[in-house]
Amino acid sequence: MPDINEKVAQLENFIMKKCLWQFHSRAWDRKRQNENILGMTAKLLCGEEVDTSKPEDKCYWVDASYLAENYRERFDWFSTMSNDEIKELMQALRERIDFVTVDGSLNEELKDPRY
Amino acid sequence: MNCELKTKERSGVINPIFTCQPAGAQFASIGIKECIGIVHGGQGCVMFVRLLISQHFKESFEIASSSVHEDGAVFGALNRVEEAVDVLLMRYPDVKVIPIITTCSTEVIGDDVDGVIIKLNEELLSTKYAGREVHLIPIHCPSFVGSMVTGYDTAVKDFVAYFAEKGEPNGKINLLTGWVNPGDVTELKHLLSEMEIDATVLFEIESFDSPLMPDGNFVSHGNTTIADLRDTANAYGTYALNRYEGTKAAKYLENKFSIPAIIGPTPIGIRNTDTFLKNLKRMTGKPIPESLVRERGKALDALTDLVHMFLADKKVAIYGNPDLVIGLAEFCLDLEMKPKLLILGDDNVTYGDDPRIKALQENVDYDMEIVMNGDLWELENRIVNEGLELDLILGHSKGRFVAIDHNIPMVRVGFPTYDRAGMYRYPVVGYGGATWLAEQMANALFADMEYKKNKEWVLNMW
Amino acid sequence: MPYHEFDCSKCIPERKKHAVVKGPEDDLTKALPLGYLNTIPGSISERGCAYCGAKHVIGTPMKDVIHISHGPTGCTYDTWQTKRYISDNDNFQLKRTFATDVKEKHIVFGAEKLLKENIIEAFRAFPEIKRMTIYQTCATALIGDDIDAIAQEVMDEMPDVDIFVCNSPGFGGPSQSGGHHKINIAWINQKVGNVEPVITSDYVINYVGEYNIQGDQEIMLDFFRRMGIQVLSTFTGNGSYDELRSMHRAHLNVLECARSAEYICNELRVRYGIPRLDIDGFGFEPLASSLRKVGRFFGIEERAEKIIEEESARWKPELDWYKERLTGKKICLWPGGSKLWHWANVIHEEMGLDVVSVYTKFGHQGDMEKGIARCEVGALAIDDPNELEGLEAMYKLKPDIILTGKRPGEVAKKIRVPYLNAHAYHNGPYKGFEGWVRFARDIYNAIYSPIHQLSYLDISKDEIPDDGGFKTQRMYSDATLPEAVKTSSAMREYTGKYDIIAELRKREYPEFNKKQ
Repeated sequence: MPDINEKVAQLENFIMKKCLWQFHSRAWDRKRQNENILGMTAKLLCGEEVDTSKPEDKCYWVDASYLAENYRERFDWFSTMSNDEIKELMQALRERIDFVTVDGSLNEELKDPRY
Repeated sequence: MNCELKTKERSGVINPIFTCQPAGAQFASIGIKECIGIVHGGQGCVMFVRLLISQHFKESFEIASSSVHEDGAVFGALNRVEEAVDVLLMRYPDVKVIPIITTCSTEVIGDDVDGVIIKLNEELLSTKYAGREVHLIPIHCPSFVGSMVTGYDTAVKDFVAYFAEKGEPNGKINLLTGWVNPGDVTELKHLLSEMEIDATVLFEIESFDSPLMPDGNFVSHGNTTIADLRDTANAYGTYALNRYEGTKAAKYLENKFSIPAIIGPTPIGIRNTDTFLKNLKRMTGKPIPESLVRERGKALDALTDLVHMFLADKKVAIYGNPDLVIGLAEFCLDLEMKPKLLILGDDNVTYGDDPRIKALQENVDYDMEIVMNGDLWELENRIVNEGLELDLILGHSKGRFVAIDHNIPMVRVGFPTYDRAGMYRYPVVGYGGATWLAEQMANALFADMEYKKNKEWVLNMW
Repeated sequence: MPYHEFDCSKCIPERKKHAVVKGPEDDLTKALPLGYLNTIPGSISERGCAYCGAKHVIGTPMKDVIHISHGPTGCTYDTWQTKRYISDNDNFQLKRTFATDVKEKHIVFGAEKLLKENIIEAFRAFPEIKRMTIYQTCATALIGDDIDAIAQEVMDEMPDVDIFVCNSPGFGGPSQSGGHHKINIAWINQKVGNVEPVITSDYVINYVGEYNIQGDQEIMLDFFRRMGIQVLSTFTGNGSYDELRSMHRAHLNVLECARSAEYICNELRVRYGIPRLDIDGFGFEPLASSLRKVGRFFGIEERAEKIIEEESARWKPELDWYKERLTGKKICLWPGGSKLWHWANVIHEEMGLDVVSVYTKFGHQGDMEKGIARCEVGALAIDDPNELEGLEAMYKLKPDIILTGKRPGEVAKKIRVPYLNAHAYHNGPYKGFEGWVRFARDIYNAIYSPIHQLSYLDISKDEIPDDGGFKTQRMYSDATLPEAVKTSSAMREYTGKYDIIAELRKREYPEFNKKQ
């Protein structure tokens, strides 16, 4: 059973290799994407309901549900985790993705105020 | 009686025949050994011209850009030239010749390229590159003047004027080929060699057809050297094959060094090649050898097989570089064909003074139009809306859709010809070129007959 | 992730921060190449200009439009017929290009009158076309012609025409990307919201950042139509001017090339609340996920599943045939801006190729983030590469193939590295399931070309082999394959036709009842 850091690394690797939503062009968009998509993914992994009544939420949910499905399929250790553990893990993942894509990013365009 | 010389009536261009001056200067620059030009302007002026040349030759050629961006366009971009020269010299140790080719943007903002060259010579080149042979040559090519044809003409003259230096007579002639293909240079050099004439060829571009070698050489480049250019001042004559691509340089050498110049006619077809040889004989005193009589005979033999039976009365439209278009038209007439429409793609006002055009006006006995400042819409509009019927189109690849959409056979000739394989390898000049051209035309007509089932059975028996 | 310094660029130290090698323990916060900065003059960079980015890349794929460049003829001539973006209206936009032919007198006295004459002439020459785009060039930007005013004047006089103006001179920005940006913003500011579309489906998307290279857009359109989705517009490949004016009515923006078109998606999200879904049309798994996601958004995922199942069953055995034969071969992904990240991971996973280098000519740091994130450890990532660096990288990495543009491909050829055209494709389309197999087939044919193999032989020094009068690709590719793979009936070579788009255009689609 990998420790939380290894798990985060595995989850991060999947996002990096397979997803595009984390690389929107501006810092605020990346934060928003990370928050909503990873937040929803956490809920889905815990079997909680998510609200998709608004188009933007439905779009987050599309990426989140894809992520949740793939996580469950690829990382069998998820099945041994409690919801609290999953939430803790996903929070750590969110912080990591925020760091890699925004706070620690070397991309100098993230702060450009215009699109 | 019926050959009409006119100018396009529309003010704009729909499907241009030519690109602009910097492209011509760039094409000239790649003919020189150890030369990489810097185009002073936006990056597209280089990137797309390199692509165009690459499409034509299926090779890559090195040309640099000063990469003028917004700040340069506002505040002047001469610092970009200075940096470009330095970067180029640092990274390409063999480079000796750097033409600085201007564009519309840098001409409009008024960058003093001549001034910055003086500065570079006094500062950068005499300090950091002291002891290294470097020649910076300004070539002014505002895109809103002339066309790629005048750009080429200007660049050849600027190169010659920069280098030509009086020394001992070299016993050679200068041969200014104009904008041609490697196949043409090979053919021309062959004719000179049969005549036992030594020539400085501007430019030595046979190497544009460069090999794929086991040691992985990667640079395709021309082979005209600085010494060749210097020595142009010591020839006993200059032969510029093309009136519009090389005359400026020929005239320069005539005025400055009293080297007699012969201008054209472009040796396309048997008759013009005969004239070419006659002029060479006159210029050098060398006789025309038996071998060329035989070669001419082989060409005539081949053409005779084609003319009456297949080529006679075929209606042709021709567009492209002016000397090429005129030469092809003359040859087509000799082949019993009927050039109906000639399109010359820039606003050169002197076309009407060209004796070859005058001769067409005086002697053509059917309806022929010569359109100046023309574009490809002049051709297509006549086909679509004015009932022009054609059997054949001669021109470069940019006009391919006119042929395709209207089911007219086309022989690719000129620059660029990217939609047929290996065209640059074959000559259109000389006896060899005459044979090749006529056979290309005939084969295009034959393929078309078969494709359209238009008397395709004729070829059952030939 | 250390920066990589090229020997040939030691003398221009500012280049050092434009290349990195992806290290085993590194992430994107350790090193990322600089990007989208002014080009170093004289470096022989491969970049184009902002005019071409606007007119040539994004504007011209629009099919039912007269595209005029306001300037000397060179700009339009040089960019004309250098791409393979086709359209289903007999390629009007490929065949026609228009220039106002600005001359010296216009530079001195202004070219606005000339522009107006041109607009009228062009509409007269093609009376069936009522839409026009006008592109500023360096020359007319510098003399300050007011193109917008002239366009408005004509529209006032000719009520049945509509004209779009893009002010993106060649010098506007470090590369063609500056032009992508300007035309995105100009289009949404000037044109979106101008036309109200007829909505025929409950599921309406814009397909954005797709240029129909060799029919890519039509392949994807086919999938969307089979799902009963209305593609309101495509920005801009095979796209229609008026459809693009109605982008504001879509429910979802499906974004392919974020490099060239994320701007308009971002603006559509902010201004009209249309969400942006980034997708990959290349590769089986990414494409399947993309179709699923679009289906899921509308609650019609089963329609996507049906397509994925059919297409995978048809084409997976062919993809696998190539994967067996391409595994372990080294590839450089050297495209323009977005394909490095579209391809980096999936080409490794589904074709077995090892991506040893990615580069981007005109991309931004965001493209490098995606590209580096998706490629494997050890890959060399280069921003705004130049001629000598490309050569040095090829000598060092010894790739079996590179994917790049036509002209750099000629450089590679000379040092005996086969190339595939990453921009225009060799024998595309490359999108879609079949397209991905076509891509694999082209890579296979390039790597195992018998003629290519001959180029290694020096007949003056080497022993000339006495092994027959011909070779086939299979004789090379299968030489070391296990017998079970060689004879496997579960896999086969590509069996599709040369042109797969002509058939698609004749296709009929099922009716899905509209709920609302």
